[in-house]
Amino acid sequence: MCPQNKNEFILEVKDLILFYENAIAVNNISLSCREGQITGIFGANSAGKSSLMHTVSGIMMDMKKKEERRGGERITWFGEIKYKGEDITNLKPSERAKKGIVLCPERRQIFSESTALENLRIGGYLADKHQAKKTLDYVFSLFPELQKLKSREGGFLSGGEQQMLAIGRALMAQPKLLLLDEPLLGLAPSVESRLAQAIKEINKQTKITIVLSEQYARPVFPIIDYGYVLENGGIVLEGAAAELMDNPDVLSAYFGM
Amino acid sequence: MELIIYGLVNSISLILMSIGFALAYGVSRVPNFAHGALYILTGYMTWVFLNQFGLPYLLSIILALIVIAVIGYLLYQVILIRVRGMPISEIIASFGVGLAILEFLRWTGLRGMAHMLPLFVKGRVYIFSVPIDYQRLIIIGAGIAVLTLLWMFTTYTKTGLSLKAIAQNERAALTLGIDSDRAAAVAVSLGAVLAGLAGVLLLPLGNIVVETGYEVLVFAIAVSVCGGLGSWKGAVLASLLIGFAQTLTVTYLASHYHFVVALLVIIVVLIAKPSGLYGKQKELEERV
Repeated sequence: MCPQNKNEFILEVKDLILFYENAIAVNNISLSCREGQITGIFGANSAGKSSLMHTVSGIMMDMKKKEERRGGERITWFGEIKYKGEDITNLKPSERAKKGIVLCPERRQIFSESTALENLRIGGYLADKHQAKKTLDYVFSLFPELQKLKSREGGFLSGGEQQMLAIGRALMAQPKLLLLDEPLLGLAPSVESRLAQAIKEINKQTKITIVLSEQYARPVFPIIDYGYVLENGGIVLEGAAAELMDNPDVLSAYFGM
Repeated sequence: MELIIYGLVNSISLILMSIGFALAYGVSRVPNFAHGALYILTGYMTWVFLNQFGLPYLLSIILALIVIAVIGYLLYQVILIRVRGMPISEIIASFGVGLAILEFLRWTGLRGMAHMLPLFVKGRVYIFSVPIDYQRLIIIGAGIAVLTLLWMFTTYTKTGLSLKAIAQNERAALTLGIDSDRAAAVAVSLGAVLAGLAGVLLLPLGNIVVETGYEVLVFAIAVSVCGGLGSWKGAVLASLLIGFAQTLTVTYLASHYHFVVALLVIIVVLIAKPSGLYGKQKELEERV
């Protein structure tokens, strides 16, 4: 693997360690994602996927601030996060979003009292009018069912529809690096493959770099370019999708294939 | 007929008094217990600009509203931001600020019945042979205008949408580039302006007295609790409910019961539906 080779790294995480009080959640993780690719992060519950996603998107800073105000759990981290070569470790989540790092959070987190259309319009907070309109059309072409349901309240959508809405809402924020935290969580197999295809399409058509985390790798394995496997907060395995695929132990141990 | 018209005036007064409180709570989850103090402070500032600086009435009102917006913004950025997320501390801190403002005003000389704001337009008209003065008509118009503008603000503008987003799901809003502290500061500031606007509209009907500040706070809490904390729809409905209940009591019993009615309605609603008319049980559970 030669880093100079055609794709630049858009995201580099170096020696990241994260503690909740005294419990270690992320144990010395270093990883990098190439521009324009889909990187998969796999691991069971408590492997550190969400903590990693929250640290990259900056949500962890907000969590830390809130815990401190409340006098709750102490959250500490060490290490460095670089985005396009720039150190963003100490930027607020809103500043990171402005730079193009957008997280589509676990369990969708739809604005349940707003209609589907309003969810998307809130997503366009950072976009100008022209971008917002263009992206809205794109989201509706990607997920035609959202167009039909656009005046329904978010809370009344099905799980699959909510996930489509969450991805569409994140797209509205004009990401350059899209973080999808367990986008296929709790979906029916047919919806799973439909969404996996949509994610691939987004990556191909818009050139947005995508990092996605999943517990169960099989449905997304065909769409990723590079993968990391986490266990107990550390990386136990990494490689290009094809390399991982060639390793039968990997497949049985981590991907249930 | 008289009952309907004056009930409506009373209800809209309650909406004006409480909508700012409901808005600030809905967005920042900060119960701003300085609300009543901001109401009186705006009225008093208008009075000072008008009588001591000799400015025109309209200019005095606009100036007072600008100052109160800044005060609301600072109230969040300097004080409330430090206790955000801790309900009891929020209440104590904001109530302390309100107490300080009101008692400071009393100390500087806001005592007795000497302070009055003039009516916007003198005179009265007859609607269905019920006499009603122009000030009260203006209040009805202003109440409807405020609700319409607020609805448009939160439906069509980016800032309004961002407030709505923070109120519903703060973390999701953060991922989309919305700064939650900024949104909450805007909400508390806007809430202060709405409290002030209610003050300059309603105070010409009576005197500017410190006690009204405490009364307005109780009404705002009554309406918000009854309607469901943070819900605007609920706040409007609750205002109508309490407003008409008060008017009925004043007409058929005695006028000094109108304060009791507000508190009685809270108790009845909380027994029948503890989360308020439009409130969410879940939110209450999370908070309490």
